[in-house]
Parts: sequence; structure tokens; C-alpha cells
Amino acid sequence: MKITRRGFLKASAVVGAAAALGGYSTSKKYFPNELFAPVEASPAKEVKKVKTICSFCAMGCGYIGVVEDGVFTKMEPWTDNPINEGRMCCKGASLPSVTNSPRRLRYPMEKSGGKWKRISWEEALDKVAEKMKYHRETHGPDSLFFCGLVHGSNEEAYMFRKFAMLFGTNNIDHQARICHSTTVAGLLNTFGHGAMTNTTIMMRHAKCHFFMGSNAAEAHPVFMKNVFNARDENGAKIIVADPRFTRTAAFADLYLRFRPGSDIALVNGLIREIIKNNWVDWDYVNNRTYGFEYVEKAVEPYTPEVVEDITWVPAEDLKKAARMLAENRPSNVIWSMGATQHSVGTQIIRSFAILNCILGNQGQWGGGCVPIRGHDNVQGVTDMCVLSHFLPGYYSVKSQGSWDYYAKVFSESPYTSGKITPAELKARFGGKFTDAAGKEKDLQLLPGFTVSNWYNGVLLPPIEGIDQPTNIHMAIFWGEAISSITEMKKEKEALEKLDMLVIIDPFPTAAAALPERDDGIILLPASTRQEGSGSVTDTGRGWFWRDQVISPMFDSKPDMWILQELAKRLGFGDHFDYKSIEDVTREINMACRPIGLQGQTPERLKRQKEYAHLFSPKTGRATGGPVDGEWWGLPWPCWTDTHPGTPVLYSDLLPVNEGGHDVRAKWKYPSDEPNAGDPIVRGDTPPYGSAVPQYAGYATDLTGEVVKKALADGNPPTGRGRARLRIAGWADEVPVHREPIESPRPDLVEKYPTYPDQPFQYRITNAEFATEQQRAIAEKRYEKYPIVLTSGRQVEHHGGGAQTRSSYILAELMPELYVEINPKLAASKGINNGDMVWVESARGRIKVRAKITERVNEKTAFVPFHWNGIFEGEDYSDRWPEGTKELVQGDSVNIITSPGVDQITQMQETKVALCNIYKA
Amino acid sequence: MVNLKFLLDHTRCIRCKGCEAACKTQNDVPVGIRRIRVVAVNEGKPGEKNVPLPCLHCDDAPCIKVCPTRTLYKREDGAVLHDKDKCIGCGYCLMACPFGAPQFPGSGPFGSRGKMDKCSFCVQPFIQKENGQKIFREPIARCAVFCATGALDAGDATEISAKFRERVAAKIQPLTGTLV
Repeated sequence: MKITRRGFLKASAVVGAAAALGGYSTSKKYFPNELFAPVEASPAKEVKKVKTICSFCAMGCGYIGVVEDGVFTKMEPWTDNPINEGRMCCKGASLPSVTNSPRRLRYPMEKSGGKWKRISWEEALDKVAEKMKYHRETHGPDSLFFCGLVHGSNEEAYMFRKFAMLFGTNNIDHQARICHSTTVAGLLNTFGHGAMTNTTIMMRHAKCHFFMGSNAAEAHPVFMKNVFNARDENGAKIIVADPRFTRTAAFADLYLRFRPGSDIALVNGLIREIIKNNWVDWDYVNNRTYGFEYVEKAVEPYTPEVVEDITWVPAEDLKKAARMLAENRPSNVIWSMGATQHSVGTQIIRSFAILNCILGNQGQWGGGCVPIRGHDNVQGVTDMCVLSHFLPGYYSVKSQGSWDYYAKVFSESPYTSGKITPAELKARFGGKFTDAAGKEKDLQLLPGFTVSNWYNGVLLPPIEGIDQPTNIHMAIFWGEAISSITEMKKEKEALEKLDMLVIIDPFPTAAAALPERDDGIILLPASTRQEGSGSVTDTGRGWFWRDQVISPMFDSKPDMWILQELAKRLGFGDHFDYKSIEDVTREINMACRPIGLQGQTPERLKRQKEYAHLFSPKTGRATGGPVDGEWWGLPWPCWTDTHPGTPVLYSDLLPVNEGGHDVRAKWKYPSDEPNAGDPIVRGDTPPYGSAVPQYAGYATDLTGEVVKKALADGNPPTGRGRARLRIAGWADEVPVHREPIESPRPDLVEKYPTYPDQPFQYRITNAEFATEQQRAIAEKRYEKYPIVLTSGRQVEHHGGGAQTRSSYILAELMPELYVEINPKLAASKGINNGDMVWVESARGRIKVRAKITERVNEKTAFVPFHWNGIFEGEDYSDRWPEGTKELVQGDSVNIITSPGVDQITQMQETKVALCNIYKA
Repeated sequence: MVNLKFLLDHTRCIRCKGCEAACKTQNDVPVGIRRIRVVAVNEGKPGEKNVPLPCLHCDDAPCIKVCPTRTLYKREDGAVLHDKDKCIGCGYCLMACPFGAPQFPGSGPFGSRGKMDKCSFCVQPFIQKENGQKIFREPIARCAVFCATGALDAGDATEISAKFRERVAAKIQPLTGTLV
């Protein structure tokens, strides 16, 4: 009798077969109270098993959903899946309790006269569409803000972006803005693509994991599997740099506790050590990078002693870390929100990229830049560019050519009947206006509002405060939890001021309850990921087909259906009349060329799933069968429908036809260089003979001939370029330390001030950086609020927490919000473990339970961000529609987090604020 | 000959609680009952470690010895099972168990504990009967098959020992050079 994992697989992985399991009733568990019609299970059960992908973080873990009589009751491990080999964390393993949560929104609802009432789908959609039309006609299309869809499939994300394009606004954005926008900007501008350069499977080949700003043990538990495999199989070292001694840090060979917001000083210190000791990979630096001398000069002041003063990291530990990184190559840098959510986020990511370049890690299996993304499809939705400054596939909205290209795609797409000319598409936008500086601007070519700043579109006056001729009057939040966005007080005010608020989500979310308003909120119950199908992209750029486990429960509808219905009502339904979701995938394959999404056809994705057992969990590559040579998930760029995918970006270890790649040759030498104007390419370095610039027109050639030619030459269509260590024209050409907006060290603010204010950042007329920082100094916040506040994740909860806090399993595993306080600090304030305390900042205060722990030092406090339902100590759970509020609730840390945003991307700064703590 | 055992590898446990959730999903365990629980030692300090603790299905199980009503018994494959029909909820097994495995769902006056519940290697769900029939499922511990990092393994003792040895063997490394 074999009961090992493999043996179990054989017994259980019969997909789609109806088999009788031990007969017992499970439906009772999910319908515990009278709110719901009881579902009677018939005695003879029909059992169905569906292989699909988890819907929490971006690891892309597979599982087998067990459906008994149409109810998603249980899960079994998909042990063949090379990413997770059947393994899951508590969130994944609780999926049935989330999908079946009695707290879900069951039918469309409207708040009117202070009461929630049920309305029909017809009525709800008509009302929403009418209001959209009204505001479009009265104030122009930019009076709307579209937000979210991060949990949607790639197809739905593409449709959502297309919807905004045809509606005529760039005011569309999603959680990547507050998640990894700085990663995208930092990596894209250095290497050419803004994504993780490895697959998660490749982590097994690293020799040193450098976690900086990632607590993977809590945020991405399955990721740790390969970290431990590397440790046990390669003797890989683990370095963790984090303000908290996290659960990941508990496994570190070397732990560096540094001050939140001093990331660049630390990394520059490491780079300086590596250069001083001549541990630089000169071959890589000379042949594949541009601007090393600028780095050398910029890091010169960051001696170990200076770094110690800025970062708290002892000089000796810094030297040890540099040596460990250099001695154990390929090493990598693994990060998540800890590194991205800063007012200097883009530059932090740039510093990681530079560190990897000088060590020659970039392009090695397991080495390089490893940003782990947060939501199950945030990489895919980013690629579909539900972003205010890109069109699907990273075509810039600032270029008229991008719009003309998409007008052509929409017209030529054989999957929809709609036709549109570039002029007609332009006419759908708000036209031109004169900005505060007297310059004429075209709204079609102007990046729109971002998630982190949308409320200013409601609150600030047009032109003078915001860079568009109208305020936002209506907002659609599509699977976006408001509690993960900073400045919640301003958000609340904005939500109250809107004319209409539409929330499309399986759960009502905090956005429905936070605003104190009696009318004008419409809730539409979207179905969960288990109730729909489509493709999903994991953090390693791999595409997977997610099959439907059960049909939509209650009166919920798939996002695709909702989009189609709204488009019909707004008069452009002919652009959305796809016969199936696979047709949308095909349109994506046709359109999104810069990053190579041509090969991820629905047929290939489904075939990979069928032959998952042929893929190695050690490399992710298939041996034999019809998928021979393919990489798991066909990670983009996957240039043609026979290309195997690219597992490691910028790696020339393999021929391009087998998944090789190179740095994108996208830029030209700046004007102060002797060869100014020439493309930055590898040149005649062996083995490529002569320079390979980017193949002109590959990104807009619908025939694919340019790509074919490049592949025939043995080159990536993006050419063979050099990583830009220096970016000429940026405020900091090479990253240098700048203090966070709220800093506990006024002396360092003077020495390392943040950026000057910037006119016209996205749609903010005057974005304040230095002013905001100086305000904090003038108010002496460093005295009033001497503790540095940082925020982050709990393993049991996800995002805004509406899903996980509605699961009876996860609510039990983590029922309460807490603030981590060091024992010394607690003793000085007379706080005992378990006391209720106020955590106060210049924005407001929150009431939370004290957790006394040495995870944080006496200068830092930590609060997780997944919580809502209490606002500054006041319970507002009565504002949820009856029976839908989450099982457990708490105060929201984003009421008190910093107002800072990144200078390049408007990423919010959640990781550094100043606070004080006192007993409630 | 099968001898069911758990293997706990604290060098891999990150306390993600996947085991706890998988157990609850599989066995319909109600709130308040933890058939498996991950315990943190030295939380937040150097030396922090996590230990997942289910019932370890002892060979010479103390709970079986002390049970006054013979609720507990050892099956041939090694699983220590219990019959809730016989249980009087006295809690003797909890006193005897070296690992704190027995769980008691009851609450109320006069110290009522409710019938004991514990890990059954996923053989028995929380409610042991369906239509008057006792449920006995395959002994596949879901906590172990779902474990995110491989900290928990379960199955026949010989097989998991072989698997553990593979992991140990892989750790043996050639000497690496030092940079000067």
C-alpha cells in the first residue's frame, strides 16, 4: 500500500471522472444559518475533479478542486504541477470556504434612502450604464475612474482596458500601481522588461538568496519550498535584510535589521564593498552594461560607517553580506512590497538591478531580480496594462502610434465584429484642454489617474489641482479593496463626494461600507475565480489556463459577461461580441507584441495542463510528448506558437529558439557620450559577431514576419542590448539615498532630501515631494511621533482581506489585527501584551491590540494592512449589507500611513511613516 | 506491512498553517478544534522555529492505555483512531498524551468537554457517521500532502524515512572556494 505523494497522485488525479468518495454531506458546513436557502445533497453524488490554479498570490500553484453535486467541497493536491508539486499555504487550502462563504454578495444591490435593497441585474446594469452616459455627456469621459480587476483573467483584464479605451479615458488603473509599479519602472528602464527575470522554479538553482523587502514565508509560502531546496541541494545561503525579524529571517544565515526607507544606502554600501574588493564580474559589466563608472562614483560616499549611521546595519554585517553575495554566485535579490512601496521605490529597484549586474547574476539560472508579485494575476493584468499610462502589451498612451495600432487591432480582429478608425477612437476621448501652465494637452495622450491618487481627482479643483478639465464624478471599483490604499481619510471623503460608486466584486468590500452616504452605491456580485475560466499569469511570467471549478453561485456573474453587457448598453458592444473567452486570448496573442505574447494560445495552455507530468519540477522544462522542450507556462516572451517560452530574461545561456534572450536594445546613448545617438547594444562581443539592435517594427507588425526573421537570425526581436546602469535624464541617474517623506532623522533629511516638487505628475498638477517632507520637519513630527511605522502582510489574509476574513477557516487562524511592539518600548509606555492601544500619526489614529514581540526593535512598530470594518476605533460594520460583513474585522493601518508617493510611478509609501503609541 | 507515521522537519516549517487549513477543509473540523497546530518556539527572536504538531499516532500510545471506555484503538496500519460513540469526554487521554493532540469541542456548565476529537490520519472526519454508517476513508494525511515547504511528511514509515534520507543525501556538497 503506497501512500506517498506520488502514489496519492495516481489515485486521485483522475480529472473529470465521476467517482464515489465516502458518502457524507458537506453542504451543511457552508450554509450554517437561515440567510441561505439550504442546498440539499442528493444521496447519489456526482463527483467531479478539476485541475486549476489558486486565486491568491502570484505563485501560480495548482490544485484539484473536488465538486460534489455542483458544490466545491474539497481540494486535492495537483502533485504534477511543477511549481508547487501539490503544495499550498493556508489561504490556498481554504479555497472552498472562501468560494462558499455565506458572506458573499449574492445579488445586485443598491443603496438608496440609507437602505440596501436587492435589484435585478437588468436594472443595475441599466442604471450604471445610464449614469456613465450621463457623466460622459455632461462632464466628459474623464469624469470616470475605473479601478481594479487584479483577480481577473488576462482576458477580462484586456477587455477592461479595451473598455476604457473605447469609453474614451485613461483614468483606469489597478493594484499593480500600489504593488509593483516601481519594479516595472525600475527594471523596464534598466533591462527593457518590467518583470521578474526568473521563474520561481529556477530559484532552486541559486547559491544565495538575498531577501530584501520580502517576507516570503508569510506572503508567498510556497516560494520557500525552492529556497529550502536550494539550501539543501546547493548549500545556498540565505540573507534577509528587513526592518523586522520576520519568519523568513528566522531561516537566514545572516540577518540585517535596517531602518525602513534606507534601502538604497544599504545596497549602495554593498555595491561599494563589492567594487572595493574587486568582486565585480568584469566580463558582464564590460560587455553587457552601460554606465558602470557612474555607479562607481555614486556609491563612493557609502562607506560601511556612513551606511551604519543611515541604516542601523553594523559595518561588519554589511561587509559579511557583501562577501556572502560575492562568494555564492549566482545570487539574487528577492523583494516584494517592502522594497517597492517607497517614495524612492523605483530607485530602490534600480539599485537591486545594478547589484545583480555587477555580480554578473543577471541572466543566470536562479540569479538576478526576483520581484514576487502579490495577487494571482497581477503580472497578467500589468501585462494587459490596466494602467493609466500603458495600453495592453506596454504601448505608451503618450504616443499616437499606440492608439492607431490598437484601432487597427480592434478593426482587424476576427473575433469581434466592431470596426473603428483612429480618428473615431480619438473622438471618443475628451479632446484637448489647456493646462495650468497654459500648455495645450490631448486627453488621449495624457496618462490618467492612478490608484494611489484617484481621490485627488474628486477632491481637488480641475486644472488648478488636477491636470484635466473635470473632476471625477463616478468610480467603478472592480475587485479592488480600498483598505490597501493609503490616505484612507481622503478616500472616504472622495467616496462620499462621488455621484455614483459602483463596486463589482464577489464581496461588498470596505468601499461599500466606508462612505457615510445614503444613496448612489451599486454593488454587482462578480463570480469568484473558481467560477470562471481564462488564462492567468504567475509572477514568473508563465501563463496557465484556469478552468472553471463550479458554475457561478447565487446570482453572481463572470466579469466577462458584466463587461459585455455594459459595453452593449454603452453602444460599443460590437467590440466585445467574443464567442468565447478563448477568442479574447487569441486577440491578445494577436495584439500584445512587445513582450511576446504570441505563443500562449489557449490550445497550447490547455495542452500543457494535460501534460503537466512531463515538466520537471527542478527546471520547469518538459521532456518528451507533444510539449517536448517547452517551459512550464510558456513564460513570456514566447515569440511564436512554436516557441517554448523564456524562463530566464536577459539570459544568453540558451539559443533564442530554446528560451534564450538578451537585454533589450531599446535605448540610445545620451548626448554627453562620445557615441551619442547610437543604440546601446552589446556590440561585437563574442559570440554574436556584430551589434544586434532591436528589430524595427517587430512590436507593430501584425503579420509576425519581423519576429520570424529575428528568430531565424538566432536573435531575440528585442535585439541584444546593454543594461542601463545609468539613466541619463532622470533626477538620479544612478540611485542615491534619499530620506523618506516622514523621516525620524531631520539631520539626514537635510543631507539626503527627497525630490523637489514635480509639476504634472500623472493627473496631479503639482505633485509635492520636498514640500511634504519639509512640512513633516516643520511640524516636528520626528519628536511628536518618534516611532517608525511599517506595514505588511499576514500569512492568513490577502489584500484588503474581504475574501480571507470571510472564510471561517482563515478567520479562525488569524482572528485579529495587532500592532507589533518591542518589549522595551512597551515597558516604557506601560503597555502589556494584549492591551488595546492607539497608534497615532499625523493623519489620524487606529485602535489595535498590542502584540509584544522582539520581531521589531524599540524604534519600529508593525501593523498588518488587511483589515477594515473599524475606522479610528469606531465600528462601521452596520453599514455593510445585511449578512455580508466579514467574519472578523479591525482598524485600517492605511488611515495613518504616509502620504508619500514615488516620484516616477506614484507608488504609495506604506512602509515608512512616523507614529506614536499609547494605551487606549 | 504498513506503519503510518508523520515526519516533522522543523528546518522547513514556516508556520504558513497550510496544514491546519487543509485539515479543516478535508475533515469539516469546526471552529475551535485544531487537529493539527503549528507551534512557534522563540517567536520573533533568533532561534525561532516552528513545529507542526498533529497526533503522532504512537506505537505504544498512552491515550489508548488510559482511556477508560476503550474509545481509542490502534488499527493494523498504525493509525490511532477513536470511536465517538464510546467517548465520555473525560479528558484522560489529554493528560496522557505527550503532544496535546486530543481536542474537546464542548463548552458549557459543569465542565462538559464534549466528545474527544483528534487527528485520524484523515481516516475519520469530525462527524464520524453518515446515515448511521461509520466513515473510514483512505489514510492520506492532507496536512502533509499540502504542506507548502515539505516540512511535514506522512505515510508508511519506511517510505518517509527513505524520502528523508534522499533529502539528507542531497545536502552533501563539494567544498566551495573562498574569494580573496
